[in-house]
Amino acid sequence: MPSSISHSDAHKAEVRGVREGALPAGLRQTAANRPGQAQPVPTRDIPTRPWLKIGAFVLVAVLLLTSGWEWTARNLIGLRAGDIDDSPQAWAEARRAADTAQVAIVGDSRILFDTDQARFEALTGVHPAQASFVGTNSRTLLEHFANDPNFHGLLLVGMADVMYFGRPGIGVGAPAVHGYEKNDKPSQLTGLWIDRWLQRYLAFMDHDYRLSLWAVRADNGWRKGTDSPYDDVWKISETFPGRQYFMWDQIEKPGYLQSHARYAWHGFKGPPVPPFVVNRVIARSSEAVRRIRARGGDVIFIRPPSAPELRVNEDKGLPRKSGWDRLLAAVPAKGIHADDLPQAQNLVIPEYSHLSRKCATVFTDAYVRRLVELTPRLKLRADAPPPLSRADCVPANFVSM
Amino acid sequence: MIFNSLTFLVFFAIVMALHYAPFFSWHQKKINLMIASYLFYAAWNPPFVILLWVSTVVDWWAAQWMVRAKRESTRKAWMLTSVIVNLGMLGYFKYGGFLLQNFVELAASVGVIYHPPGWDIVLPVGISFYTFATLSYTLDVYLRRSKPAGHFLDYALFVTFFPHLVAGPIMRPTELVPQFEIPRRATGNQIGFGLALLTLGLFQKVVLADGFLAPVVEAVYDAPGKNPGMLDAWVGTLAFAGQIFCDFAGYSTSAIGVALCLGFAMPDNFRFPYGAVGFSDFWRRWHITLSSWLRDYLYIPLGGNRHGQARTYAALMGTMLLGGLWHGANWTFVVWGGLHGLYLSVERWLKARFKGFTPGRAGMIGLAVLTFILVNITWVFFRAKTFTGAAVVLKGMAGMHAKPDALVAYGPMIIAMTIVAGIFGTHLVMRNTTLEAVLEKTPAAVIAGIWTVLLFAVIVEQGQGSAFIYFAF
Repeated sequence: MPSSISHSDAHKAEVRGVREGALPAGLRQTAANRPGQAQPVPTRDIPTRPWLKIGAFVLVAVLLLTSGWEWTARNLIGLRAGDIDDSPQAWAEARRAADTAQVAIVGDSRILFDTDQARFEALTGVHPAQASFVGTNSRTLLEHFANDPNFHGLLLVGMADVMYFGRPGIGVGAPAVHGYEKNDKPSQLTGLWIDRWLQRYLAFMDHDYRLSLWAVRADNGWRKGTDSPYDDVWKISETFPGRQYFMWDQIEKPGYLQSHARYAWHGFKGPPVPPFVVNRVIARSSEAVRRIRARGGDVIFIRPPSAPELRVNEDKGLPRKSGWDRLLAAVPAKGIHADDLPQAQNLVIPEYSHLSRKCATVFTDAYVRRLVELTPRLKLRADAPPPLSRADCVPANFVSM
Repeated sequence: MIFNSLTFLVFFAIVMALHYAPFFSWHQKKINLMIASYLFYAAWNPPFVILLWVSTVVDWWAAQWMVRAKRESTRKAWMLTSVIVNLGMLGYFKYGGFLLQNFVELAASVGVIYHPPGWDIVLPVGISFYTFATLSYTLDVYLRRSKPAGHFLDYALFVTFFPHLVAGPIMRPTELVPQFEIPRRATGNQIGFGLALLTLGLFQKVVLADGFLAPVVEAVYDAPGKNPGMLDAWVGTLAFAGQIFCDFAGYSTSAIGVALCLGFAMPDNFRFPYGAVGFSDFWRRWHITLSSWLRDYLYIPLGGNRHGQARTYAALMGTMLLGGLWHGANWTFVVWGGLHGLYLSVERWLKARFKGFTPGRAGMIGLAVLTFILVNITWVFFRAKTFTGAAVVLKGMAGMHAKPDALVAYGPMIIAMTIVAGIFGTHLVMRNTTLEAVLEKTPAAVIAGIWTVLLFAVIVEQGQGSAFIYFAF
């Protein structure tokens, strides 16, 4: 028998495997050199270099470099500690909470950015579960909740009309939504906790500012016709616990980042949504609402504002009367359109699609006060703060776009 | 749990602390390592720990009864028990859906319409790896290449030892079990070098594979309805060649580094494979522990090269087809393996036909480039999810799309091709040496500088905790 794995003193020296000093080039054998036999303990040679000293140097150098990068992130880029990234695992966490929540919110990035959860809670005493996802068709999320027999609460469906009616699939949120139940593995949960803990103290930990994105975004559309990283939506938000999104303050200031953020929307230009598609979406929405209501839940649609620069193209793609108005006429649910809220007119929408951080609070205040009139499921607290108005978020020198 | 995760960093720090704690005996440290390994596996899907346990216990007892058996037929029965249990688990979880789908399609082709219930079985991570590792134990004992392990704990720890558990290198019991016999304690230099290897592996995975190469690959391969031109199709495929290498070799390098920190030696799994000249050379350099496993337990038992030309070619092709299927339950993987089998057969024939031919330096480089190009063609079937998808990319590579779509922006393309050229060039230069031999002659200051850059790049890239490609196998 050429080899044995039984205990014997004879091969103790052989079983060490690791040896100091590199073998001459090419001498280390692998299983490829030993066909048809039991493989011996492999050899790992350690180059005779001062690895501990090298390691100590690397540790210090990397700490210094990382500190420098952290300083750059805070002072030159404008990132902040406490801005935690969103992720499929975080969405799964919110989704699980939504199952038993009194109020859950689904939608695309508009309702995600434009809802101030703290204001919502201050007004109603209810903390909503935020299950919206950027770039995601809220109609698919509505159907997702309609298919969940555990959900009996009030579902607020935020929408950007063209996305709701015109987008064929679920969109960016697909990896998070499909099979979200599997995003609760122990390693995923611990990863989420450790990541959040680190992001409370480190500003540079931001997925929008990782090395590879920095590098490829230097290409500003050099090759025509390709989906250049320059055309993507870059960082426009900050995320806080509870998946509370707010506009990143760097986007609220005029400059390169704000200009790019506006550019990335490409004006929301697109072909008109065909009437037969609208009909189909309304039918599916109606069915989803009916199913939620049949088991004791309810649905209310919300249309947050967009800036006139985008709104003009959105209306070309699908005018309000052809989309929103027809939807509300057909489905057994009520709705709140930003156009109909006097306090939500001419708010600050820095990159044309999402409200500024302060104006998100004003919009939330406006729509929640309307919400309590539409549903008996929510009531205004006796100690609710006084109503907000445009003046609470729009600077005095602000010129409406 | 995956190496490129914050959870692993915390886990590894705790494991190291326990491993070097002075108050534990070696026996207790082995128990600690086994518990840690089970936690490592359970962190992904706790119930699947049962499969590990079944595999461990069945193979332990099969080997024990094999050596106690008086009759050859009894030995064979125990060997077959081990093979059936292990391949049965692998077949059920990995190939059940595939077999069912093929059965349905076959039945439909003869006019029988059958609608089976959905096969919604989750693939236990790393099952292909630990199944092969444990099988080699009973097969080695059956083939009388080795005796069974002396202690159950050592054997159980061999199966579960977390550095190799979920994505290899596929270790043989004779490589690892003896290492558990004596206390392992790495020197400071070993730990330092182990951490350097861990950094290198993470850099390959997090920065190169996931950060720079994967988006280029996805732009070409995950673009339904788009037809890549020659430039895009080749760029996407070359980028995948870089991605799959950095992903898998990155995992192996990290695993070797982690084991080294604990004082254990693991075998090489890659040896600059894109510097290969010819395909037998390629398979001595790519996923060495799998190719040697297939050679020892499949190719040689099938007859190897001992029964004439026809049998040799049949054994070669059969081994590579099954090797392809090992990678995934999809006919595209079988074709990938079949292409490699074809390449190996043609190479074997050419070597016999032109015996004595030795290329010069330029000829060697030319053959290495040719090998790399042909390997890239096989990668199309490995990466594409369907034959239709593979055909679209292959047509693009041949410049056969009349109106090709531009898919990859120049910025990411240039970066990706620079990385791939760097990998190819490095492999060519390093094909006759080892990393350790080069580091032996490299000034410490240069090593420190490179290590610093790699680690800082990993930190700045951050990573998104994406799983290694081979986890799916």
